[in-house]
Amino acid sequence: MTLPPISTDEREQLAAELALGVLQGEDLVRARSLYAADTQFRSSVGEWLGRFAPLLEEVEPVEPGPQVWPSIERRLGAPAAANDNVQSIRRKLSLWRGIAVGASALAASLAVVVLTRAPEVAPPFAAQAPPSMVAMLGDERTGGLLVASWQPAQNSLRLSAATPLPGDPAHSHELWVIPADGTPRSLGTLATAAKMQMRVDRQLSRQLQEGATLAVSVEPVGGSPTGLPTGPVIASGKLERA
Amino acid sequence: MDSADRPSRSAPQGRELVPVLRAVANGDRTALSVLYSRTSSKLYGICSRLLDNQAEAEDVLQEVYMTVWGKAGSFDEHKASPVTWLAVIARNKAIDRLRLRRTGTETLDAAQDVADDSASAIELIERDQDSRRLANCLDELEERQQLCIRAAFLDGASYPQLAERQGVPLGTMKSWIRRGLLRLKGCLEQ
Repeated sequence: MTLPPISTDEREQLAAELALGVLQGEDLVRARSLYAADTQFRSSVGEWLGRFAPLLEEVEPVEPGPQVWPSIERRLGAPAAANDNVQSIRRKLSLWRGIAVGASALAASLAVVVLTRAPEVAPPFAAQAPPSMVAMLGDERTGGLLVASWQPAQNSLRLSAATPLPGDPAHSHELWVIPADGTPRSLGTLATAAKMQMRVDRQLSRQLQEGATLAVSVEPVGGSPTGLPTGPVIASGKLERA
Repeated sequence: MDSADRPSRSAPQGRELVPVLRAVANGDRTALSVLYSRTSSKLYGICSRLLDNQAEAEDVLQEVYMTVWGKAGSFDEHKASPVTWLAVIARNKAIDRLRLRRTGTETLDAAQDVADDSASAIELIERDQDSRRLANCLDELEERQQLCIRAAFLDGASYPQLAERQGVPLGTMKSWIRRGLLRLKGCLEQ
């Protein structure tokens, strides 16, 4: 389908109308084909959406039904550690439920969120499939830096950074787990990439329990020479059940 | 524009969700569950306001998180805050569902074809505007313009519906809104 050329003003108007959602029929088709084909038009629509978006702040949050998350999980495909998942996520939901999602509430730093939460006591006997854990490593100044997620069933510790860790040829970043006894154990040094996945020594993986702290410190290249953190800690957070 | 130009934008708006979205982009399901628990009531509020039907709103909510699962990599923290990005996805998905309900099948098919192509990108650019500024600028419009713009964005009213509600011809409604949008942009850019 060939569309007649349109002026800059017309384009801007059409972008606004598409973002606002008032278009129908031919105009909608026309706007959508422009959106698909033209990055500049797409940016105009994006800017209009940004202008209108503050209106969404006034919409009251409503709790969706409890079956929605399990349905999403099903659509994602069978999770690896299926046993624990639904229950652990329910627990997580109830923990988080009290936290409002309004912009102001979200301003509360990660550290505050973690600190104000009542600690959960780990069960005395480990379940057959050890539960997945997640930790958000941040500091109060910058907010979240890293998300760590521990899947014991796959022996996989994944880390995702908001921004790649600052590269500094003279230093390495080292990840530590600090269990209840307070003694840091090294999990290894981190690459500067935004995401990484590591395997954890079996002995060490027992320390990755709910409530244990994960921390990243700045160390000499190759890691701390002493086996304990020597440099400043740039991010830390507690492991929680996913 | 460089993000460093507007540090005020990034700090207070749910920055802690940035690494969560990053983790989702890396295929981390746990991160998706965290994101869901933090944001689903806000996003469901938006879907249910637009659709006014529980089953449909929950269905769209699922689609929203499936989209986020697939497209989290396209989130750009320098362009928008995570919550706004998510809220706009929810709002757009709900609007699409509304259209499915009300559009004639003929135009719908054509529109859907194109929609599939464009779904690859979710473009959202927040400048410095905040809700107070938008409210002030909306207040400068004629009351009916303000009313119609809000009804369109928040309730999904289309041009024909707005014209019918206000009892004016379609052409009149279009020119009201277009004039209103021009003025709104001018005010926000001041």
